[in-house]
Amino acid sequence: MAMRDLVSGAAACGDSSSSSANPLASLANALVGSSSKTQERLKEIPTSTLTDPTSQFYSTALPVNHLPGSEFDKPLLDANYQASEFLHRFRGASGLEETWDEIQREGGVAGQRQLVPAIQQPPLDGTPQRVLSSFLHSFLDSSRGGVPFHPTPLPMLGLSEGDKQCIRDRSSIMARHLFADKSEEFIDAQVNALLCSLDIDSNVRGKGPMPERFRELEDYWNESQGNMRPGPPAADGWITEFSQHRGKYDNPDSWANSFEQQHGANGWVSEFEHSQLSSVGQMQGMNVSNFAAMEQTRMLANTLAQNGDPKFQNSKFLQFVSKMSRGELIIDDNQVKENASGNWATEYDQQYNGGHAWSGEFLNDKVYHGPDQWVNEYTTEGRQHDAPDDQWVNEFSKLNVNDWADEFGQQLGEAALGDGTSDSWAHAYDEFLNEQVASKQQLDSSRGVYVFSDLNPYVGHPNPLKEGQDLFRKGLLSEAVLALEAEVLKNPENAEGWRLLGIAHAENDDDQQAIAAMMRAQEADPTNLEVLLALGVSHTNELEQSAALKYLYGWLRHHPKYGTLAPPEMSDSLYYADVARLFNDAAELSPDDADVHIVLGVMYNLSREYDKAIASFERALKLKPQDYSLWNKLGATQANSIQSADAIMAYQQALDLKPNYVRAWANMGISYANQGMYDESIRYYVRALAMNPKAENAWQYLRISLSCASRNDMLEACDRRNLDLLQKEFPLQ
Amino acid sequence: MPVFKTPFNGYSVKFSPFYENRLAVATSQNFGILGNGRLHVLDLSPDPSLPIAELAAYDTADGVYDVAWSESHDSIVIAAVADGSVKLYDLALPPTSNPIRSFQEHTREVHSADYNPVRRDSFLSSSWDDTVKLWTLDRPTSVRTFKEHAYCVYSAVWNPRHADVFASASGDCTVRVWDVREPGSTMILPAHEHEVLACDWNKYDECVIATASVDKSLKVWDVRNYRVPVSVLNGHGYAVRKVKFSPHVRNMMVSCSYDMTVCVWDFMVEDALVSRYDHHTEFAVGVDMSVLVEGLMASTGWDELVYVWQHGTDPRAP
Repeated sequence: MAMRDLVSGAAACGDSSSSSANPLASLANALVGSSSKTQERLKEIPTSTLTDPTSQFYSTALPVNHLPGSEFDKPLLDANYQASEFLHRFRGASGLEETWDEIQREGGVAGQRQLVPAIQQPPLDGTPQRVLSSFLHSFLDSSRGGVPFHPTPLPMLGLSEGDKQCIRDRSSIMARHLFADKSEEFIDAQVNALLCSLDIDSNVRGKGPMPERFRELEDYWNESQGNMRPGPPAADGWITEFSQHRGKYDNPDSWANSFEQQHGANGWVSEFEHSQLSSVGQMQGMNVSNFAAMEQTRMLANTLAQNGDPKFQNSKFLQFVSKMSRGELIIDDNQVKENASGNWATEYDQQYNGGHAWSGEFLNDKVYHGPDQWVNEYTTEGRQHDAPDDQWVNEFSKLNVNDWADEFGQQLGEAALGDGTSDSWAHAYDEFLNEQVASKQQLDSSRGVYVFSDLNPYVGHPNPLKEGQDLFRKGLLSEAVLALEAEVLKNPENAEGWRLLGIAHAENDDDQQAIAAMMRAQEADPTNLEVLLALGVSHTNELEQSAALKYLYGWLRHHPKYGTLAPPEMSDSLYYADVARLFNDAAELSPDDADVHIVLGVMYNLSREYDKAIASFERALKLKPQDYSLWNKLGATQANSIQSADAIMAYQQALDLKPNYVRAWANMGISYANQGMYDESIRYYVRALAMNPKAENAWQYLRISLSCASRNDMLEACDRRNLDLLQKEFPLQ
Repeated sequence: MPVFKTPFNGYSVKFSPFYENRLAVATSQNFGILGNGRLHVLDLSPDPSLPIAELAAYDTADGVYDVAWSESHDSIVIAAVADGSVKLYDLALPPTSNPIRSFQEHTREVHSADYNPVRRDSFLSSSWDDTVKLWTLDRPTSVRTFKEHAYCVYSAVWNPRHADVFASASGDCTVRVWDVREPGSTMILPAHEHEVLACDWNKYDECVIATASVDKSLKVWDVRNYRVPVSVLNGHGYAVRKVKFSPHVRNMMVSCSYDMTVCVWDFMVEDALVSRYDHHTEFAVGVDMSVLVEGLMASTGWDELVYVWQHGTDPRAP
């Protein structure tokens, strides 16, 4: 049970810099208000599942809907894989020798790794220009009419190096025009965010202002030194004239007088100083991780939202940039699209686009910090960290080598004396367990508290729910989350807003927020079947059996068709076997109801009867082949029953139906990791994170895969959440 | 007044110096970030209620950032293309013969082109490769390259009086004044604290130059006394993209900006902002005033629209 938790615990334990100790990440967390989330991922130890015997169920019933909200399943990491990781780290912590060796070998501990052939992406027809052009236009069109798109394969685009260079350089230059009063970091981050969504490596900056200026300054210097050299070869009347003029030309125009003064040392020096100062800024900008970049995009959106001019808010260019930088436009086979799957979108339309009347009032009742403050803080932070190597060297040089040797000798001595080493081992393990208990307690207190994003551009939107539904339907998950947050801030009792928010978080692979949102949805509407199922699934996901049973039982009880099967008195003491029996009865009652099979599949996951679970999901899929979340569930179950190869097929189905499905991307990575294909798994994690940098689990998994793939050189990038670097290093191709 | 819809995002618009009803428009796909470009030549109908007619359109492999009319031939236009080329088009020739020239020397995007109004035999191109180049129609290569700026040169414009003098505006925050007979620039004007995106010479006083900057302001300078600006014009909400002096009124100038507006200024009076035109719905990046018809203005922007209107009237009025 809860092997995943063990792993995340191990990762954090083995290397304290993995999450909370990363200042950049914690800063970012603090800014987006999700710092508690980092801690929440350090989960409970295996035995301490909480139960809530006083829970009760609710009375009124609702009509049945489809269940698109059941998003919450994900596979566990393979036990051996985790255990070895765990032991590896532990050994590293106690055995100095190994640690030392490991440092010396610099990641050379590679075991034999099976290399996986690269995944073939569908080839792309047409020139990149045409692709990007239709990218923009279809985007604009869809933003007008909400046109559903057809399912797309993977969002790979064969932009040539030249095209990438163009996009990189031009967007950098334009961004500087637009955000002149922002800091260099802001602009860089802005551009990086844009580029990363197009799989463009932003580190090679062709026309960053300052490095360029250095070179140019040199040229300038040389040129001003060589001012007296003759001009280019004269071959033309004009040039002849020029040469003739050179000798006798003596300032006929008054403005020429200033030449010498202007070339005086002062102007030069001040210009040079300016360049130098700016280049310091540039260096800091380099440290901006992509994670921060995404946040800054949000800030940009907020900045623009603060511009009272409605024209600005409606600017298609700005929307384009904003959405592109969120990685939520997909370039596909000659067309640029928002991530969406047509069938699903249609289905969604049928379900949700009726019967709501929305108020058109425009409320702007929230005051934010100005973005400048943010930037300043960020700058300060950046300054502290821009020379980590130096810091490291300094600290290291403080260590006396003799001390080192002494300590090492002591350790050896202790070991020689007896079981001192094993004592310390046990001690360390105890400490580890204590930490886990402590973090569990912390977790319980913060559990279920929904953490809102700062700087939400949709606050004040006249109809955020509608906007959120549209965005969600188009697959723009992070955008949708923001819009829906604005909605529930406005109408905290709107169950639908909370529910959709929960689903969006779940699809974005953020279970804590998903659960928190779903719990609020349930408060608002205690008998909503979708909410109950979603909560059941998410608690199954978190391996909390009793809580899961409570919600799944609640689903059955409030179901108009199966409610009679569930005796109300049973809710006092729920046992797995009883509940499972009830669902089997329900499945017999109506074998063509996909939802019952789905719930049954979830139930079997709870009891680890994976074969039965797979069968249930496969039956459900025959009835609902277009349900992408169902494919994901099937994949997760297959992965859990050590059928990773099959799981990958299932995830691929899910992604075909919904390309922006972050959770499926992450799950795909887990499946590859479980098969020992760490290199592949890294690529999928990075892809998932590029779509949602807040998917905390994926960061943990990525870290583990990096270690297992002996890519210790990239661990720092992972800890710093430097998606730019990671994407460059691990392109999904 | 008439409106013309371009398929791509507008980048620049210029009135013909020969025909009062003709103008050229430079456009780029995808906001000029990536894609094709198209150069339009448009004819206004004498009846303002009739739509604008397209006389010719030329496609390019990359965005067209600027356009300039030849001062010597009424049918020749010069396109500044983002792929680093400078292309010449002759309207009198069939489309298959165009472009008649393609000069490929700049190593980066060409951002502006300006035809010499005095000598009428040469033109300038300025580029993001930090250089300005001097060209003639008949030479296959540039006559000279002016390389002193430390960052993109967004604009280079000839002095309206002195045949050999021009100014260049650059992202290195300076404006430089050059005499093509001199090896280096003759003056460096540290005009703004931020990038300078455009400059233009006053048509009545050859020593007065206006600069437009990312710092949202316009400044007017007298190059004889360049330490303090003659005037600082505030009013734009975002970076000012272009500035142009009126050919007819000494103190009048027009500017367009990323704040999506076109503003007309009188730089000698206290309340310098004369009028603000709010007709574009995306960044307004191209503006021009007709030499032949006083008060006739044209603008274009990323909303893919070209507006032509008489100063003082509503550009969007039907």
